[in-house]
Amino acid sequence: MSMPRETGSWGRVLGTLALAVGLTQLPWSGWALIVRPDFLLVTVLFWVLHRPERIGFGAAFTLGLLADFQDGAVFGQHAIAYVLAVYAVLYLRLRLLQFDPLRQAAQMFPILLAAQLTVLLVGWLAVRPPVGLAILLPVLSSTVLWLLIALWQRAWHGKGMRGAE
Amino acid sequence: MAVPGQLTFARRLGPATRLAIWLVIGVACVVLDVRYRAMEGLRSGLSLTLHPVRVALRAPGDVASEIAGFFTRHRLLQQERDALAAERSRLALTANTARDLQRENDELRALLAMRTRPGQQLVRAALLYQGHDWFGQKIVLDRGASDGLRNGLPVVDASGLLGQVSRVYPGSSEVNLVTSPGQLTPVMIERTGQRGLVAGLGQGRLELRYMPSQTDVRVGDRLVTSGIDRVYPAAVPVARVTRIGRPQAGPYLRIEGRPLAGLERSRAVLILVAQPVTVQP
Repeated sequence: MSMPRETGSWGRVLGTLALAVGLTQLPWSGWALIVRPDFLLVTVLFWVLHRPERIGFGAAFTLGLLADFQDGAVFGQHAIAYVLAVYAVLYLRLRLLQFDPLRQAAQMFPILLAAQLTVLLVGWLAVRPPVGLAILLPVLSSTVLWLLIALWQRAWHGKGMRGAE
Repeated sequence: MAVPGQLTFARRLGPATRLAIWLVIGVACVVLDVRYRAMEGLRSGLSLTLHPVRVALRAPGDVASEIAGFFTRHRLLQQERDALAAERSRLALTANTARDLQRENDELRALLAMRTRPGQQLVRAALLYQGHDWFGQKIVLDRGASDGLRNGLPVVDASGLLGQVSRVYPGSSEVNLVTSPGQLTPVMIERTGQRGLVAGLGQGRLELRYMPSQTDVRVGDRLVTSGIDRVYPAAVPVARVTRIGRPQAGPYLRIEGRPLAGLERSRAVLILVAQPVTVQP
């Protein structure tokens, strides 16, 4: 039991979240900006999946507000989407933990898509119709990012994380 | 049974209840922000917190371009210097004429007892961060309220109008780009002087609205600010007309344009700080 405690330590959770915030703060522009994965959402969902006792709705909501500030969007737009995604992951948690990285990423895709569609819908209702459907591109890159993280995690920890059950 | 409440730790409320609570808070945030503009304090706080991070993370890029600049060929620099010197002498001539015209203009305005145009001051700023343009394109500049900026000031770069300051924080500010949907700019067609209204369409395009179908406008015409709103100074280039459509239904032309300012490229911009206009009854 010592290994799971180590892998999900507060230092690591906060470190990865800080890294996600930092990556989002980089001066992205052009194509890189359009396909930039949602680092914050992916990190939050990763920790909700593996350490639901540490990261939950409150953290997701706060980081959602941060994402809203980031895009100069309406406050609450990303926060609502993140909270819904956290609920979906909590609901499917036991199921998601059983899959290998590729299938897990495939199962995360609809959740990430739903989150982005929520962002779209809230923005549509609160501000104005969106410009084009480029808003859905980050879903693909986020899924790929999830796959990479899941692969890395399996390579690094083996199946140790599942010992957290 | 895989119900969401079945986790290994104790929670007083189930996930569904928590979700409902957070959703209510989220909707409250949206309403407070959109209807009552009550979240500006939080925005300023986040801006103050994140400003150093953004500045720090911009540093690697700056250093890279600095290093690249160091290795620029000597001859290239010389050529550039010669070109700049030529440009400068040409501009000096224009400036002389402009000064002359300004004096003449002042005298004429005094004769006509007209209000003088508000004096202007330039604030130089650099692009700090660019957000997603899903619902309106915005950029963040590294100057804010401490440099005398306020909402509504025009932002230009070397080739034209970039946008308008939409939110001001202590050390940074947000700019609504001229192509952002919902952003309106009063302009005139430079060739004919006809006034109109430019609206952003998003994705780097904009449209000249409400032009009757007999309007004299051609592809390639330049649109410049008309200056009648006292927000933008007159004759700042805004866009070039790229397409004119004549819809069968509807009395207006569909005129599309491309912005002249380097919305995607410009890193250094100028903000025109005019004295606040006091309207006397």
